[in-house]
Parts: sequence; structure tokens; C-alpha cells
Amino acid sequence: MEMSVMDNAKPDDTSFLSDEEQEKYSGPSMRCVLFELNSEIYGINVKKIREVLRVGTIRRVEGANPNVLGVINVRGVIVTVVDTRQSYSIQPKIVDDLSRIIIVELDSENIVGMMVDCVLEVKDIPEKQFEPMSSTKEGASRYLQAIAHFQGNVIILIDVDNMFDA
Amino acid sequence: MDEEILQDFLVEASELVENLDGQLADLANSPTDSDLLNAIFRGFHTVKGGAGFLGVTPLIEVCHRAENVFDKIRNGDVEYDDAAADIIVSAFDVISDYLEALKAGERELEDADPALLTALDILWKGKPVAEDPVVETPASDSDLQLAEGVDPDGDMTDEEFEALLSQRDEEPEVAPSGLALADGVDPDGDMTDDEFEALLSQRDGEDDGLSLDVGVDPEGDMTDAEFEALLKEGDGEADIEPAVAEPIKVAPKPVVKPKPTESKADNKPKAMAESTVRVDTKRLDEIMNLVGELVLVRNRLLTLRGSDTEQEELANVVGNLDHVTTDLQNSVMKTRMQPVKKVFGRFPRVVRDLSKKLGKEIELQLEGEETDLDKNLVEALADPLVHLVRNSVDHGVEMPDEREAAGKPRKGIVVLAAQQEGDHILLSITDDGKGMDPNVLRQKAVEKGMMDEMAASQLDDKSAFELIMGAGFSTAEVVSDISGRGVGMDVVKTMITKLNGSIEINSELGKGSQINIRVPLTLAILPTLMVSFGIDSYAIPLTSVQEIFDYDASQTNKIDGQMMVRLREKSIPLLFLSDWLAPDHDYSDLSDHKVIIVAIGNQRAGLVVQQVNGQEEVVIKPLGVMMTHIEGYAGATITGNGSIALILDLPGVIQRFQYL
Repeated sequence: MEMSVMDNAKPDDTSFLSDEEQEKYSGPSMRCVLFELNSEIYGINVKKIREVLRVGTIRRVEGANPNVLGVINVRGVIVTVVDTRQSYSIQPKIVDDLSRIIIVELDSENIVGMMVDCVLEVKDIPEKQFEPMSSTKEGASRYLQAIAHFQGNVIILIDVDNMFDA
Repeated sequence: MDEEILQDFLVEASELVENLDGQLADLANSPTDSDLLNAIFRGFHTVKGGAGFLGVTPLIEVCHRAENVFDKIRNGDVEYDDAAADIIVSAFDVISDYLEALKAGERELEDADPALLTALDILWKGKPVAEDPVVETPASDSDLQLAEGVDPDGDMTDEEFEALLSQRDEEPEVAPSGLALADGVDPDGDMTDDEFEALLSQRDGEDDGLSLDVGVDPEGDMTDAEFEALLKEGDGEADIEPAVAEPIKVAPKPVVKPKPTESKADNKPKAMAESTVRVDTKRLDEIMNLVGELVLVRNRLLTLRGSDTEQEELANVVGNLDHVTTDLQNSVMKTRMQPVKKVFGRFPRVVRDLSKKLGKEIELQLEGEETDLDKNLVEALADPLVHLVRNSVDHGVEMPDEREAAGKPRKGIVVLAAQQEGDHILLSITDDGKGMDPNVLRQKAVEKGMMDEMAASQLDDKSAFELIMGAGFSTAEVVSDISGRGVGMDVVKTMITKLNGSIEINSELGKGSQINIRVPLTLAILPTLMVSFGIDSYAIPLTSVQEIFDYDASQTNKIDGQMMVRLREKSIPLLFLSDWLAPDHDYSDLSDHKVIIVAIGNQRAGLVVQQVNGQEEVVIKPLGVMMTHIEGYAGATITGNGSIALILDLPGVIQRFQYL
């Protein structure tokens, strides 16, 4: 995907909105993959995402961090899968048909899988809508980049680079 | 200085210097080999050419002189004796240092040591020959005629090249092509820089073949177009125009570009440069990885084919795929291979310098230099080998007088050999020195408190020799800067173990010592023993596995809280891997479990596992993000059925169990 397309992409169909709302949604936007964790909606910049996989066999690795579910084989590359719920201190949930692993690119060499409840859609979110996080919780907040109020939903934007820095 | 061109130059020059290192070493053995002399001459010449293009004056100065010396040597005017070798080797060192400095980002190089330059000058002007002091080697190369029908731009055959060389060599009394010395200048004396510059510009003025277009700044960087234009102009001259004469300012030597102007007489006869491509090893790893996946897909197809014999056509196609994949896998493996010569090449130097320093007479013999092994291994083996060879020279071989007194020839021999043994490489370092006394080693071990007298006296000779690989064990009475600090062998052992290799020491008092190192051919593929708990499989490096037997509770004892198993009158500690790998494992019935005896260094342990699934060659892959630091794993691999097996790192496993 071309960078320019993404950066200047207009929000989804806005024709039904009032002029006032049109104004609110104009300007540059960020294309995000939206997914659900414990009924909350989260977003990750689409540029950081390589692919979304159905959950197959995850090989447990004894001795790994508690928030690591194990490793999977992505076309010959061993990829760590993180329990995203655990990372955000949400109680665990059994993997079901909707569960997905989002493969995130940290840099050109390192990729990591994030287990999420379900993947919703790809949306262009106007940058105007983002407001920086003012979380009271220390630690967890450094993963969370911003929140956006968009079309009646609250979307929590995740900063994947910070999330896997450690 | 154009950074990009500089970087390309550095890559090329480093390679040339590496070759030169080996060639100079070879030359010590055959100082009159004309092919070798020509190759060395060309090497210095090409480095000089690049340096000239980039204007790295100190580097030019040294290369220029070295090149001249070799021109003399190959013409038989100067003999390559020890004294000459010393000068050339230090010149070579200076050149490598310059390249290192350039690589490190330095752009202003200091001038070379004038003493060295003078020494080189004396060497190449040693015998008075009426020649122009600037002598960019005989400047009358334009007298060389090509045989009829030879395309001056085409590649040369070896014969043509030789013919040209000899043609040139026949004309030692060169007409200095219009270059005249200023009055009062001693043609044999050293030149001042000014004189040199003056001569250069004089020559440049004469360089009638190549002219710059009006308005072109001769000192400025060239555009590609200008460069191309010059190339054409140069090629238009019927005879080999630039030949050896080095156009320092006007016609820069192409370093990166295709090399049509590269003086033909000096170029390798065949266009070697164009038949090779530099590839990042990371990319090779990627290809390796994909080939691995392809092999898995093929294996699955093979199983499918087995169940459906009716479709003959399909069976044939799958069979073809099978062959092609196997070949592909082998080819990719081969691209990672390099001759062990790359490591061996540095040893003649090491031995020469060291024996000189120690006042010993030592001959180094290299065997099996053409043996191929994995690139990573070649690099990883360099340091341990240097250490072992230094040890042999320092501790192994005696002083000449001592040798004579013992009835041996004054000259000691150190043999460095490599050979392939199945899927392993055997490297051996053998000397005919004084050997090791196992009794001295036993005594030393007691003195150091490593064991009591009783235990020491029970060690067989071989185990006594292995003591020297223990940390902090040194028998050298005087610590020299060469060896004897008692860290060396320990480090060597650790490095070899890390490469999944083994090390073995043989020695006979008075006759000499031999150290054998066995390493796998490649680091990428690891022969393993697959074991499992339930469905979770683990791979244990096969090199460490000594034997496997059924777990038998009646053969075990609990000693000081540690379970031990008796095996042929010896007790070996048992590590129940399930304690760590399968915490909820059922211990009530261990009757079908197996014990795998592994050796890690001089330690042995019995790993208790639920199931042994057999041998498998695996491709080692790193564990993903956040997992690389976990102790006990060397990586992961994908097994034949597509599932993931974790590869155990035995030293790490032992560590882990010590803390459990």
C-alpha cells in the first residue's frame, strides 16, 4: 500500500453525516485494524500489521514470560504469540472460532503475534479524533497511544513499538 | 571523497588484501612461482589504482612501492628472501591498517613511516637499472603489440596474457617515453614529494591518449557521462593504452564500474568479477529457510502419493519435485560454504612472527586447505585455531638447541590439517615438540586444588591432558604475552562446544602433541535426537548424546538429594527434564521412560524423558521476540509433520537444574 494513500485517506463514507460532522471527520486520517478484547475496541496502525491468522497449534515454551502463550510456525519462521489480554491485565478467555492472531511487524526482522478476541474491520480514523491517553494506571498506559471517539465508539489505539520494547 | 565509491573500494580492497595475505604466505614456500608473483603484483596494483582514484595518497605511496618491488621480483631482478619478506610484510600490514582506518571512518590518513618507504625503495632500486624513478613500471607499454585478430576490448586468454607479459619483459631497457628528470636529480636517489608531483604532472601532460573536454575540472569528481566518454576515448586507442601506467589524476581507475579501462595486461585474464555476486548472508538464510519449508511440503506430498498409487502421473511429478528439492537444498547449502583456506591463510604469518620472536625455528605445514565448511564456522574457528597454533609454537616446539640435544632436527614442524569426516570436519594441530607429561599435569591439578591426590592418580593419561582445558589451569612457569595465562584452552573449549564440536588431546612426552577438533560441516543443520513428553517434542544435539537405555528404578540411588543412575560402576546424576518442561507430569509410572546419557564438556548427566522418537536433522531457527534469553533453549525447529520442536541447549539445561 502506498504511504500517501494511507496518510491522506478520507474516512469511510461520510455522505450521510451533517456538515458539522463532515468537518469533524475531514483532514488526514490513520488506517487502523480494529479488534476486540473483552468487548472493548482496540486499533493498531495498519502499517504495522503483516497479516491476521486463525489460531492453529501454539507450542508452549516452558520458562517464557507469563504473558507469552508460546510460539507458532508462520511459513517456516518461529513467531512468539503474546496473550494480549494478559498484557492488559484482562482475565483470560478460552480460544474460540473468532479468536485471531494479529502478526505485527516490530521492525524489518522481528515480528510478533498478538492473540485477540476477534478482528472487526479496517477503518480510517481521522487524526483529529485522537486524544492522548490520560490513564491513571502506570505501566499499562505506555502501550496505549491514544483514544479516539469515532462514530459512537471508543477506540483504544495501541503503540506496538512500546509494547514490545522490553 | 565519494562515500559510495569509497565503500565499494573498501570492499574490493579488503578482499584483495585478504587474498594477498594468503598469497604472501604461499610465496614464502615458493618464492619464484611466477603466477603467484603476478597475482601479488596485480593485487597491490589494483589497490593502488582504487586508492589513486580516491586520492588516498599515503596508501598510494605504499602500494606503489610494493607493486614496484614485485615487478622487480617477478622479473627476477630482486630476490624474495627473508629480508625482503620482512619489508613486504610490514608494507602489507601498513596497507591493511590504512584500510581498517578508512573503514573505521577516518578520512585523513597519516603518511606511512618514511623508514618503510625507504626500505621499499632500496628494495626495488637495489640493483641499478637505468630506469625512470617514477617508473610507473615501464612506461613504454604502448610498444606492446597485440597479435593480429585480437580484439583489444575482448577478454584475453591466458596464452595471450602470458605472451604480452613476456613481450613486455623482454624490453627491460625502457625508453622513458618523454619523461625527463630535472637536471641535477639523482635518478636513484629518493625523491622529494615536490619532485614526485612535478613528474606526475609532467606525465599527465604527456598523457596524450586521454584528454579532458574543455571545461572539465580535472580534479573534480566526474559525472558518469564524462566517465563513459573517457572510457570510450580510451578504448578507441588501438593499443593497450593505459597499460600499467597509472593515470592518477586524469583517467581515474574505475573501482565500481565495469572495468574496461582496467589495464588489460594486469587484469585477470577472465572476467572473474562479473561471474560473482555479493549476497548478504541474511538473504541466504532466508532462502535456506524457504527451502526448508519446501522440503516439508514435499514430504507431505510424498506421503499423499503413497496412499494413492493409481495416479501414476502425479506420482512421477512428485518424484521429480523430490529430486529437484533435494538438489536445491544441497545447492543452497553449498553457497554458504567456504574453503578452510580462509582461516588457514593467516597462520604462516602467525607462526613466522612468533617463532622469530621466540627465537625458534618452525615450519608450518598446511593440509587440506580446500576443505569446505560453513561460512559462519570458518569465522568462528579462527580465534580458537590461532590460540592452539600459538600454543604449539610457544609451548610445544622446543628451542633449536634443546631440540638438537634431544636428537631432533633444529627445525620444528607444526602441521595444521583439515579433512572432512562424513558430516564433520576434523581439524588437527600437530607438533613434534616436547609433548606433555601427564604426571606434571596431575600434580598441578592437586596443587591447584582441583582434585585430591587420589583422584588425580586415577586419571588416565588422556583425562590428564584434558585438565589443561579447565579454567585457570596453566602449567607455564612464566606467563608470556603469547600464552600461558590459563584462560586460553578454557576459552577454546567453550568456543568449540558452542559450535557443537568436540576437542581431543593426544600427546607423547618427547615426541609431540596433537589436538583434534571435530565440528559439524554446517551450523545451519543440526543432527538431533528427538524426545518428547506427551505431544511436546524436544531436540537434543546428537553430538552430546552418548547412550540411551530404559529407565530402571532399581539402578538409581538418591545421593545427597540428587538422583543418580549406576552405569558400569559409575554414578551419573539424573535430570528429570519433566520437572522443568512438563511440570504436571505424572511420576507414578516411569517404567517406560528412557535415560539419555549426554556429555557436556567433561561432565556427564542422564536426562530422563518419556519418549525417544529417533534421530532427525533439523534446521535451527531462533525463538521469537521476548524468548531469546530463556536459558536452556538453543532455538526451535519445524519437524517433518510441521509442528514445532524446541532445541535444548545442554549447558543451559544443566545450569537450570543446578538452580532447581
